[in-house]
Order: sequence, then structure tokens, then C-alpha cells
Amino acid sequence: MRRAKLLARLALRNVRRQTRRSILTASAMVLGVAVLVFSRALGDGAHEDWIDQGVRLGKGHIAIQHPRFQQSRHLDDRLTPRALALAERALAEPDIAARVTAVAPRLEIQGLANSATGAIPVFVTGVDPEIEAGFSKLGDRVVEGRYLEDGDRLHAFVGQRLAERLDLELDSRLVLTGQDATGEIAGQFVRVVGIFRTGLPEADEGIVHIPLRTAQEWLQVGGAVTTLAVLVASGWDMPAVLDDLDAALAEDASEVAALGWREAMPELDAAIRIDDYGDYLFHLILFVIVGLAIVNTVLMSVLYRTREFGVLRALGLTKGETAGVVFGEGVLLTLVSGLLGMVVGFAFTWVFFRNGLDYSGLLDSEFTISGILLEPVIVPIFRMVQVFQSLGSIVVIGVLASLYPAYRATRIDVAEAMKFEA
Amino acid sequence: MACGGCDYWEVDVYPIAVRVSRVSWLRRLAPYALLTLVLFLLPSQLSAQTDAREIVDRVDRLLRGRSSRGTMRMDVVTAHWSRSMQMRIWSLGTEYALIRLLAPPKDAGTATLKSGEDMWNYLPRVDRTIKLPASLMGASWMGSHFTNDDLVKESRIIEDYDIEIGYEGARNGVEVWEFVLTPKPEAAVVWGRIEEQVRQGDLMPVWARYYDDRGELARSITFEDFRSMGGRLVPARMVIRPADKPTESTTITYLDLEFDIALDASFFSLRRLQSDRGSD
Amino acid sequence: MAARPWWRIGWRNLGRNRRRSLITIAALAVGYFSVVLLVGWWDGVVVEMINNGTGILSGQLQVHSAAYLPDRNVYETIGGPDGTDVTAIIAGVTADPAVEGAAPRVYGGGLVSFGNATTAAAFLGIDPELEPRVSRLMDALSSGRPPARGTNEILVGVEMARILGVEPGAEVVVVAPAVDGSLGNDLFVVSGVFTSGLADLDRTFALLPIDALQALMVLDPGRVHEIAAAVPDPWDAPAAATRLHSALGATDGALAVESWTDLRPELVEYAQLSQSFQWVLLVIVFGMAIFGVANTMLMATFERRHEFALLLALGAAPRGIVWSVVVEAIALGAIGLLVGAAVTGPVLVWWHNAPPDLSWLVGDFTMAGALVRPVLRVEYPWSMAVQSALALFATAALAALYPAMRAARVPPADTLSGR
Repeated sequence: MRRAKLLARLALRNVRRQTRRSILTASAMVLGVAVLVFSRALGDGAHEDWIDQGVRLGKGHIAIQHPRFQQSRHLDDRLTPRALALAERALAEPDIAARVTAVAPRLEIQGLANSATGAIPVFVTGVDPEIEAGFSKLGDRVVEGRYLEDGDRLHAFVGQRLAERLDLELDSRLVLTGQDATGEIAGQFVRVVGIFRTGLPEADEGIVHIPLRTAQEWLQVGGAVTTLAVLVASGWDMPAVLDDLDAALAEDASEVAALGWREAMPELDAAIRIDDYGDYLFHLILFVIVGLAIVNTVLMSVLYRTREFGVLRALGLTKGETAGVVFGEGVLLTLVSGLLGMVVGFAFTWVFFRNGLDYSGLLDSEFTISGILLEPVIVPIFRMVQVFQSLGSIVVIGVLASLYPAYRATRIDVAEAMKFEA
Repeated sequence: MACGGCDYWEVDVYPIAVRVSRVSWLRRLAPYALLTLVLFLLPSQLSAQTDAREIVDRVDRLLRGRSSRGTMRMDVVTAHWSRSMQMRIWSLGTEYALIRLLAPPKDAGTATLKSGEDMWNYLPRVDRTIKLPASLMGASWMGSHFTNDDLVKESRIIEDYDIEIGYEGARNGVEVWEFVLTPKPEAAVVWGRIEEQVRQGDLMPVWARYYDDRGELARSITFEDFRSMGGRLVPARMVIRPADKPTESTTITYLDLEFDIALDASFFSLRRLQSDRGSD
Repeated sequence: MAARPWWRIGWRNLGRNRRRSLITIAALAVGYFSVVLLVGWWDGVVVEMINNGTGILSGQLQVHSAAYLPDRNVYETIGGPDGTDVTAIIAGVTADPAVEGAAPRVYGGGLVSFGNATTAAAFLGIDPELEPRVSRLMDALSSGRPPARGTNEILVGVEMARILGVEPGAEVVVVAPAVDGSLGNDLFVVSGVFTSGLADLDRTFALLPIDALQALMVLDPGRVHEIAAAVPDPWDAPAAATRLHSALGATDGALAVESWTDLRPELVEYAQLSQSFQWVLLVIVFGMAIFGVANTMLMATFERRHEFALLLALGAAPRGIVWSVVVEAIALGAIGLLVGAAVTGPVLVWWHNAPPDLSWLVGDFTMAGALVRPVLRVEYPWSMAVQSALALFATAALAALYPAMRAARVPPADTLSGR
């Protein structure tokens, strides 16, 4: 035990003695870890952003629907009021409810939008205006008029391209036709109350929002809906919540099913995964370079102190202990600079970019990925997981990089070492 | 069926989202087509004191229970082609209709059957019958400017519009009414307003104009060549013109017409759709 | 000052401490290798994304009548109502060095019916021999085979097949309004079913032989809507489009030749974005390399301080010493670059021509069905390779500056006497 303490003091002192060298090595480490932290925080933020935007325009992190609806898209496969009650009961379970931020009921069908100019196929969604305003954020993309509000009845919210093609203005009349629950084609009169623009041609031409109750009356489905779109507090919570929901709905699996966004939006899933792999590769490279820098330095310090180690060995320090001292130096250096790097990284990211990194200057127009329009601002996300992963990486690098120099330290021939100059 | 009488159809080939959209340049003719058919069957005399709504309503109700049979020619002129079709029509009330093409020879034998809310097409070239699903009701009928829906849907003019007399008096030396039809508050119709001129003397329609929501003229129909057919005074020719494409038109000419013939629902069968035999 | 001795001194100092030099060279080489490879991979991902976006159906380059887009007016065939010499245009397009293949297309809309089931369809008339060189859709067959020229065969998407309840061999009715106003209709046999993974394609698209669709729509054989071409390196497409524009005599405005950069600008955006991020990578990697080299040089100069002291005492100009240190660093850089390039080159070539298949890692990557291959194919990042080399040299030189200056300011007398 005393020996160990002695070794530790030796290691510590050695690091302090070679200040300039230590600082240089430390700088490499600090920079490397700071970059790592920075890029992780931004990377996580970017992904969260993609997912968030994507699921809001889609069906939320989790979609609760009739099991066949995803494939058939038919009104027959809707959530009856009974199934709806089952779903709501499941959502009310405490540990699920705690992580759910919004539940938007929707009645969706494929229909036609008719005006005096012509008819265009559209995707009509009956929504609860108040919930939906906060959910899909389509209201944020208003270019004329307003989004639907509570109390609206015969109002429709349409995209800019649809308005152009059907020659619609605010307050224009619009007739929506579609197949109702009895199988007949039914028409519904609405007036345009707002026009939006997402920048995505498919959305701007194909999406129409009307109040849920209006849709339910039009299609004669009573209190039924086709989808409950669920937003979870954070994208990382989704798998856990999905599992819980699956369990809660297991008995009613013939009527109700929960679908995660990764299945509902496979393109988004793929894009994010590719990006993840790119990140992993980048981090790996960072580590290798930093690791090499450390190996270089620690090794050099060992070779520099050949005579010193020779003396120590002559005085009784064993091979193992010598290696231990060197190893300790390397790890210590790495840890200290790594921690410093973490602090610097987090601080830097927080101070300068906590409101987001704006890269709109790099783009000419809107940026879409996998069919989702993105704001060119990345808000970093800080998670405990990142801290642990960074710490872990630092330790790993430190350990690996110190191994070879420690080994070399044991190979010093005591007698030869004495011939060296200090 | 996609819109054959349309100028174009569109397919956006985004691998991410693909949809087929049609723009029919001549829109829903339902009220007009049937209004027109309806007006053919009006008795030639009617008290001039009956108010507007009663006129249209009475006419509407008159059609029910009546049957008809006739030969019609339809000339369609578009920017890209002109076509003339001749067809034979049978109808029973608003529930049943059978239309068979006689010319041009390439399409002779093509037939459409309406029975209630269902609709079938028979294609002689391949000797097959296709049932049109509800989702294709918006598509053009037989390549014409009528949509499938126009033929299938029942007239709802009375239920959907408020009718007023906009003008009562002489035009070009003829005493006429000009009716103004405005959609009722929640009626599922796309027109902002319809105007119609009807001759007071014989209740013959002269023209009908369809305005969009902002009051701009979208299209107009003129009724011409009034003559007696099957014991009634009818306009033998209807010309439909879109306001934005003045060179295009569809002209319907009745070559012969009979009313109140012996027809019952069993006549309108799928077998009849496919074969000529037994009908006349 | 005679520079030559300093060159040699600097160069030979490299060998003084081989291990250290080697490690530094290794660090630089690794930095170079990783940046260039990562950028190459990144570029490869972008190209793959572009190929997926354009290779499934649309092709990287398209020729239309100028009035055809954006509405896809079915009457606007190339050359107008009189049509054109399709073979000549195809030959003209394939003559361009960047183009690998070209195929004619006819577009129409209508419906397909089987028994009691009827569904709306978008028809694509293709030449079964030429089309595989342009699009991958016919590779994505889940059953059956592509339609054969001169026959009434039809290839439908898996969703359409499900809606209609058909399999290869089924006889369906195809109805399509013709350009003369009549209603084209005929019987077709399902030759196969495709699965693209894109729901809309699978539900609405049906492929027919081009001559069959033309007959159905009363189009003369010389009337087509589009000539689509494949340009294997998508970045060559815009230039090819410009070349073809004049080569095909399109200057009178009747013909439009467009590349995917015009037709799918969002793909261009993503590529540009990833390029700007590459710069960031470069800065980071070499920023860190600076520390490594600086460290090495500091140690080197420290241990040779007696030497420098001696040289200074003998009257050498400080500038010369600085120069020797810098040369040493640059030499390190040069060798590092050589090693890095020597390793990177073969790997790039290998992974460009025989990219490793990552499907084991990525698992069931069903994003766009079978047509997205999770292969790590790299593109040759020429400009990045040059920029990295320059950065590497800059790093080496900059990193050596401080140590070099310190070396030149070694106090000769004190040092020599051991203090």
C-alpha cells in the first residue's frame, strides 16, 4: 500500500515536472474531447430535431391505430369508440402518461378536393384544433389566414399549392368528397380559413385539415377516429413507451395496435442511422489521433528519463512498478486533460450555441431530408449518456495509449541507462 | 377512369410521393345535366303564377317515375382533338340509366349502366365489364366531360340551392324569367351562383351560367333548337362552353326521344349492358 | 546564408530519433488517411443517396419537349404532334461520354381492372431492352419477369397486385384515355410484380411495353414523352445536360434537357451541406495534429539544445537553425503524407470498386426496399485529398515554428556549460 502511494506520487510529480510537454499533450486531448462533446451534443440535437419535425408532420412518435389500418388505409379499419376508450385507458397509465406530452386524435381519409376549377386528390385529416396546433406545428407555417381553432366547424386549412391549383383564396368554398362509412361518396362543404406552406410540394398540395367533429359527421363514423398520434417527451423515450403501450394493449390486440415511428417512417429511420454511422466513424478517428498523440508524448517522456528510471530501478523499483508509474502518468494526464476537455466542450457548446447553431447561411433554400422540412438551426442536447460515454472514451484512450510506453519502461536496461545523460 | 376529356392528366414522378391528379376542364355537370333532362319532361303548359321554387321542384318531382329512351349525338371539341359520338340512352327515373355508344365504329358497343349508386362499363373490344368503384366516381365518363358521378348522383338542386327570380320580363322580344340560384349555407356544391334563363311561355331553358365562389363565370350552357320530340317541347341541342377556354365545347344533340315507354328495373341488367339483343 | 547545409541538417535530424519520427509520421499519416477516407465515404453516401433518388425510376438526365413539364401534359410529346426520330435522339444522348444508357418513355393514366376490382393507375411505357440501363425498377421484381416488347404484358406494383388480387399470369383490363379523345382499352397479362418499397410507386405504377401503350393511347411510334438517361457519376450530369442541349439541336427552345440537379434540387442541397461539414472535419483533424507535431519538435529541439548552442557559439545565424527545424518538420510532413497517401490510395480504390457490404451491420435496411444497398462505397475525393495534403504541410510547418524559434534563442554560453 505504501508502495502504491509512493508510485502515485511519483507519477504525479513526473507529470508536473514536464509541464510544457504535458500541456502540449493535454491540449491535444482537451481539444479532442471538447470537439467530441461538441459534436455529440449537436449531433444528438440534430437527430432529435429531425425526428421531432418528422413525427409531428407524420403520426407522432407512436401511432395508435387499428392493426390493419397501416396497410389498408381504409375507413373500415378505424378505432371504434370502444377501441378508443381502451387506448385512452392505456395512455392514462401513470408511467406512460408521465412521458407522453401530447395525444392527437385524427380521422384521416384519402379523398378529393373540389372547387369550380377542378378536383385534386388530397389527404384529409380531421383534427382537434387545439391539440393539433401544438402538435403538427402546421399552424406555424401559415402564409395567409389562420390555423383551425376550437369552435370551428366548416373550416379548412389547406396548402399553398392546392390553393393555387384549385384557385382558392381565404374564405373560398371547397367541397371535399370521399367514401364514408356506409360506402357511399359523400360531399362536405367547407371554407378555407388558412393557407400554409411547408416547402414540401407533396404536403403543400396534398394535406387538408378540417375539424374532427366535422369529419366525423361527414363520414358518419360517430365518435371514431383512425389514428391517435402520440408525442413523447423525448425521442429516446420512445422505445420504452412503445413497449409499455404494447403491454397495456396486448389483450385488445385485434382492435388496437401501437406503431413506433421507425416502422411508420422507415425513410427517416434510415437517414438517421446513416448519419449515426458517420458520426461513429468520425469519433473513432478523433480517438485514434488523440491516442497517438498521447502515446508519442508519454513514450518520449519515458525515453527522456531513461537515466532516471535506471536510477530508480537500481534503487529497487521493480519492473512492474516502473511500468505502473509510467502507466499512471499516462492515465493521469489523459484523465485530467480529458475532464478539462469535457468541461471546455460543454461550456463552449452551452455558451455559444445553447440557442442553436444556425447554418442557414450555407443553404440557398429550404432543406429537406427524407421528406421533412428542417429549420437550419441545430439546438444541442446534453444528456447524461454523453457524459458517461465521453468519460469512458477518455479512460479507454488513456489506458490504451499508456500501455506501450509502460511496456517500454520495463525494458530499460539498468546498467545501460546509467550511461545516459539526464 | 382518368379524365379523357381533360386536356391533360398529371403524374408527379417523385419517388418519395407519387400521385395521380386530374383536372377536369369541364366540371360537375350533375345539376345541369339532370336539370336539363328534367326540363325536357316538363309539360308544355304551366301556370305562370307558380313561383320559381315550385317550378323547379315540380319539375324535379315530375321526373320521378318517368321513363325515357332516345338517341343522342355528342360532339366534343378540345384544344387537341375533336370527336363525335352517337349513343342510345334509356332511363328510368333517376335510379337507372343505360347508355350505349353507336358511333364511331371503333367504340360502338361500349356501354355504361347505372343502377342505384353503382356503375358499370362494358368494353366490347375486350368483351369485359368493369365495375367502377366509388373512388373513381370523379373520373370522366367515356372520355367525355361528364364525370361518372354526374350520371350517378341524383339531382339535389332544390335541397342545395335557394332560388329567386332575378329578372322577369322580355329579352329579345321573348318573355323570360331569369332565376338566380344561390347555394344554401352548408350545401356541398362548388358553385357560388347559378343563373338560368327560362322562357315563360313554354318553360324552355335558354341558357344556364355557372359562377365560381368569387362571382367569376366558369362555364355556360346554351339551349337551342326547340322542337317537339316524343310529344314534348324540348331543346334538341345543348352547348357547353368553359369560360377559360373559349375554343372548347361539348355539344349534345338529341336525334330522337321518347317518353313514358314500357320499361322496368329488370331492363337495366348487366346482361343487357353487354349485348344488343332485345333492346331497341 | 547558404541554405543547403541547413536542409541537410534538418533532413538528417529525422533519423536521429527514429522512433519518435516514426510515431509522428504515423500520426500525420493516420490523420491524412482518416480525413480523406471519411470524406470519400461521405461523398459515397451522397452519391448513393442521389442514385437512389434518381436511379429507381427517373434517371439522372431527362429530355422532354419544352412544354411537357411541370404539368406533364400528355399531348406534349417530344417533337410535338408529329413526333420525332426516337432512335436518333437516343443515339445522340448515348453518344455523350458521361451517359451510360438512354431509354424512351411514354406516360399515361387510366385504370386497371381484374374481376370486380378496379384501381386507378399511372402507366409507364418502356423499352424492356433499353430501360434496365437507366432505371432499377425492373430489378426489384418480387415475382415474374419484365414485360416483353411486342406483347400485351404489364408489370404492376405489389400494392396494386394486392388490391386487384392478381399474380403473374392474370389477365387484366387496361383502360387509358387516348390522345384522340377515345377510350383506349385492351387486355393485358400480368408478367410480374415489382416491390420498390416506395408505397406510392407500388400502388399506382404499372409498366407496359412502350409500343403497347402507344397503341392504346393512339400515339404514333415516333411520339414519346421522355428520353431518360443514366449518368453513373451523377455529378457529371449537369455538364452532360449542357452538352446535349447543343448536341441535340435544342437551342431553338423546343427541347429541354435537364439533369437531376434541376429536377431534384433538394438532393443538391444535401450534397452541398455535407461538403461544408467536410471543411470542419479537416480543421479539427489537422488542428489536433498540430499539437502532436509541436510536441515532437519541442522534444527534439530540447534534446539537441547543446548542439544548437554550439552552432550559435560558432557563429551560425539563428535563422539557419530555425530553418533546419522547420525543414525537419516539413520532412516529417512529407513522409507522413507519402505514407498516408500510400495507404489511402489502395484502400480508396479497393472500397470504390469492391465496396464492403454492410448489410450485416445495418440489418434489415428496408428503407426503399431492396434497392438501397448498405455498401460502404467511397468516391474519390480529389479536392479533399489535395486540401488535406496542404493542410498537413501547413500543420507541420506551423507546429515547428514555436520550437524552432525557441531553438534559435538558446543561450549558447549557459547551455554549453550545462545549465
